[in-house]
Amino acid sequence: MNTNTQTMDSSGSASMLLLGLGAVGLAIGLFASGGLLSDGHAAFNTGSNVAWGLPVVAYVYMALASTGLAIVASLAMVFGTKELYPIAKRCLWLAIALLIGAFITLALELGHPFRLLWAVPAGMQTSSPMFWMGVWYAVALLFMAIKFAMVMKRDWSSPGSKAIGGITFAAEIAAAMTLGFVFGAMSMRPFWYDPMMPVFFVLSGLLAGVAFALFFTNLAYGFSQDNMPAAVRRAMTGILPAIFLTAIGVTALFVIGQMVTASYSNVNETHLVASHVYGSAPFQLALWVGLVLPFALMLGGLRKQVGMQVLAAVLVLVGLFTVRYGYIIGGQLVPMFKGTWYPDLIAYTPSATEWGVFIIGASASLLIYAIGDKLFKLPDSPDEQ
Amino acid sequence: MAKWGMVIDLDKCTGCQACTTACGMENNTLPGENWQDVLYYNVGTYPNTTMKWFPRPCMHCEDPSCVHVCPTRATYKTEDGAVLIDWNKCIGCKYCMIACPYGVRFYTDEKPLLQPALQDIFPSNGSRHTWNPPYKSPHEDWTKGIGIQPRGVVSKCTFCYHKVSRAPAGVADLDEDDPNTKEFTPACVRTCAPKARYFGDLDNPNSRVNKLIQDKRGVRLLEHTGNKPQVYYLGEHGTVPEFTRPKS
Repeated sequence: MNTNTQTMDSSGSASMLLLGLGAVGLAIGLFASGGLLSDGHAAFNTGSNVAWGLPVVAYVYMALASTGLAIVASLAMVFGTKELYPIAKRCLWLAIALLIGAFITLALELGHPFRLLWAVPAGMQTSSPMFWMGVWYAVALLFMAIKFAMVMKRDWSSPGSKAIGGITFAAEIAAAMTLGFVFGAMSMRPFWYDPMMPVFFVLSGLLAGVAFALFFTNLAYGFSQDNMPAAVRRAMTGILPAIFLTAIGVTALFVIGQMVTASYSNVNETHLVASHVYGSAPFQLALWVGLVLPFALMLGGLRKQVGMQVLAAVLVLVGLFTVRYGYIIGGQLVPMFKGTWYPDLIAYTPSATEWGVFIIGASASLLIYAIGDKLFKLPDSPDEQ
Repeated sequence: MAKWGMVIDLDKCTGCQACTTACGMENNTLPGENWQDVLYYNVGTYPNTTMKWFPRPCMHCEDPSCVHVCPTRATYKTEDGAVLIDWNKCIGCKYCMIACPYGVRFYTDEKPLLQPALQDIFPSNGSRHTWNPPYKSPHEDWTKGIGIQPRGVVSKCTFCYHKVSRAPAGVADLDEDDPNTKEFTPACVRTCAPKARYFGDLDNPNSRVNKLIQDKRGVRLLEHTGNKPQVYYLGEHGTVPEFTRPKS
């Protein structure tokens, strides 16, 4: 059966809605980040104390979600989990869209983004985790694009196509692990230092990816399983919510583990930050409403229902963003050698410009996804399906 | 080739911040961009309280974590022991600021600390400089992070490399009291009124800095990080108090 023939009208209206949202978002983002043009990065509330602010959080969030989506696509395209074929192409395109949005966000955060293009390859600083992060994400984006082009030509599973998929999967895993290493290896920032951070980044990235897959697939079919072809419905009521449940559970365990371990520590730089971050209302909401509640919702038969899936996906996506924010900002809150210039944890709130940069990146992702949804027949799957 | 290092005698330091001021004037740094700073700490609880102060330049570490993490090799270690930044290669990713355990790095596009901002009073005249101060160091060299800073890069103490690198070969110490080395002595050392700072060759067994480290048991900060600073502290207060939050 070729599901290509069963593209629903709702997908078209959804992509138009997303196109509109993306365009409006981009306009809002450009307006909000106007300070970048007049004041440069002085329009950010970052500086020598909190060097990496909201735009870096947004970059990490989107890049890891991209990894998660690539893993979901790879489960079908590389590891032969045929139930996921009907959503694999959409996941792959969404992964590309999110990674480009992540790169845009990061580029607007860097002092000299264009210099990066020659200075990183010319420098070949192989001891830098950030160097490898760039290498792996660049490889991942390139091979995702090649894989998508092959799928567009209906080459889903030739040996060449599978090899490209395999390389993409490996590069995405390496990229997400290296991104975890960028933070987790920083022993001079005890709140960050964690040998398991690379693993956590992959697993929580998978959770974000599955949440995005659930949300956007449901959206593409007008939030109604009646609009879905049988194969899509099978995936959306069977394996995907089951993976979602597992990923929520694993991520929640990691987060609770981090919270307990850091809070228990005798090291001031760890437990004082832990009580500040983990004791905050946004983090507690993220844990209980963003992870535990969705886990409960997905435990039983409710996980097959569109409404519950969408609700759980949205809660998880907001919750995960809060968790990433708490971790990345939290690690920088202890002033380093500032004495009484900064006698307390550093107070940081993102500026409007920083929010604008995030909105630009997210809107760019949305626009790219919507264009693909409109033009590239994302519900496609192999003929043998 | 010398391996330059600094010794700071905390028993002599009065915390007057002359070093900070001299550094700012020598290197055209902006308010808050304190390549050299003296940090103050209030330690203990009443009635057993102490105020400590602690001069803090860049440590120019032997094994600097900032160099390891820089994705472009913009931050590098010179043969004579200084850690410098090539502003032509720096992409402003700020990873070095994250990785430095001593908090000695600054982003040149930070929000101004004071208003009116010096950048507005002495605006850049169309060049890539962040500002155009009336006095400029005559030795601008962006490949070494020396001179008026460009936008979007990270800046830091250079050990006054524009002076130190021109010192006569083989000299053991750079001392402001020696007419032969006065001009090559870092600004913070030269200006220190109680002579709490010494600068010399850590590889030269006859250098005064080595003798001081030996005789007065010099210590380095945060040895557990493995960075191995080339700045040594003498005196009773060679440790930085642990971070605590003020009682509310």
